[in-house]
Amino acid sequence: MPPVLRDAHDTQQLGRYFAGLWGRRSYAWYVAVSELRSRQITSRLGNVWHLLNPILQVLVYWVIFGLLVDGVARGVENYVLFLAIGVFVYLDFQRAAIAGANSIQNNKGLIRSLHFPRAIVPITAVITESLATVPSVLVVYATAVLTGAPLRWTWLLLPLVFVFQFFLNVGSALIAARTSTHFSDFNQILPFIFRLGLYVSGVLFAVESFASESQLRLFEINPAYCFIEIARWSIMGGELKAAWLVSVTLWLGALPLVALLWFRKGEELYGRD
Amino acid sequence: MAETETDASVVVDGLHVKYHVRAEGNHLASPLAGRGLRRRHLLEVHALRDINLRFDTGEVVGVVGANGSGKSSLLRCIAGLQARTAGRVLVRGEARLLGVQAALKPRLSGYHNVILGGLAMGLSRTEVDERLPEVVSFSGVGDAIWRPMETYSSGMRARVAFSIATMRSPEVLLLDEALAVGDRAFRDRSIGRIASMQDQARTVVMVSHNLDEIRRACSRAVWIDEGCVRLDGPASEVLDAYTSLSAG
Repeated sequence: MPPVLRDAHDTQQLGRYFAGLWGRRSYAWYVAVSELRSRQITSRLGNVWHLLNPILQVLVYWVIFGLLVDGVARGVENYVLFLAIGVFVYLDFQRAAIAGANSIQNNKGLIRSLHFPRAIVPITAVITESLATVPSVLVVYATAVLTGAPLRWTWLLLPLVFVFQFFLNVGSALIAARTSTHFSDFNQILPFIFRLGLYVSGVLFAVESFASESQLRLFEINPAYCFIEIARWSIMGGELKAAWLVSVTLWLGALPLVALLWFRKGEELYGRD
Repeated sequence: MAETETDASVVVDGLHVKYHVRAEGNHLASPLAGRGLRRRHLLEVHALRDINLRFDTGEVVGVVGANGSGKSSLLRCIAGLQARTAGRVLVRGEARLLGVQAALKPRLSGYHNVILGGLAMGLSRTEVDERLPEVVSFSGVGDAIWRPMETYSSGMRARVAFSIATMRSPEVLLLDEALAVGDRAFRDRSIGRIASMQDQARTVVMVSHNLDEIRRACSRAVWIDEGCVRLDGPASEVLDAYTSLSAG
């Protein structure tokens, strides 16, 4: 049965768009795996940098705020572990958004030559980054063991944090991808946004030791802060606040879908000069 | 209305394309030029004006016209890659555009590009693997298939790109000078493949400056001039009119 005549410019119906994305799952997997493989080839340490970079960051912050500057590590028992969880979870957000912002430009040739649901491009970028992040879970466990943190059953929940984070990352990557097609300068600004975000996500210090009760409410709006705190709870114990879970649930419910709808609205924009 | 016509695979109805490009201002004319500041203007380009066309299934249509006449814009509109200002473009099934500079991922090998292209078109991994040997041999680039595509000559790139684009033939194939840089042998094979697509009731629209190529492959031709259809009819008539004008 031949297909019907259809407007070439109609954005596909949402259902067909989803089906198109699902039909490209082997594409996404293939590209993610071969991208990681080619990183391994082009740089001597290859994907090790994906781990080495955050480990070095943790060391730098630990030397500065744990040893040299007094007061930042206030109220934290195991500051190295505290930092390691914060840095690894936060970097996962940062890398996904930056990869999303660059993805359209990096895949220009593909986008110009073939017709397919463009959202697969930023989504594939997030899958690539997420695969590269898998070993960081092990680094967090290793840090916990080496710093003598007591074993808890909740350690098993840490991978789940990253799984949920993946869906949020898909949302932010889609938004970053479309934004960067409107403003090419966005890719330059993005690292600074994340630099700023580092301080309002409680990566370096325990927010509750510094913020008032009303300020804490503002922090709880920030999904990065909530994800970091939930990850810390799973490894270091303490109180699991309902506000974090509510915030994370609302973000997960809204962001990926809203981002996909907004990205799809700009379907014709991608791949142009 | 057009969409009820059963044989049509592409219907272009009152299509206008106008776009704005950011252009650097004329340095000499700009009063700010002396201070090292360049003004940026939005330049309006009227690429297509009121195009009405209909291509049927099984038709191979050549599109001719001078550089900048709007041929590529027309193809990009049919492929859904270019926003239009007014009018409609209806396509039955998928319209795939193949242009000149079409390495999907220049840093990956031709082989990887074939797999990637197949998967992006929505084939499964098994389907891609099944077609892979045939696609590679059709491209005829030999062992170069293992080299990064950025090291290819433009002819080799065109061969691989054409092989990828036709590995699952779309309902409508749009070729924008896609064969121009290929050698004689590759062009012959490609025209053979286009003819076999015609037999499968596919529609092929090809833009080319090689009139001999159009004469061989197409039964019908459309002459686009300054964004308008100047002539549309049997290939030989349109080409004769076109050549007599460019000669005179």
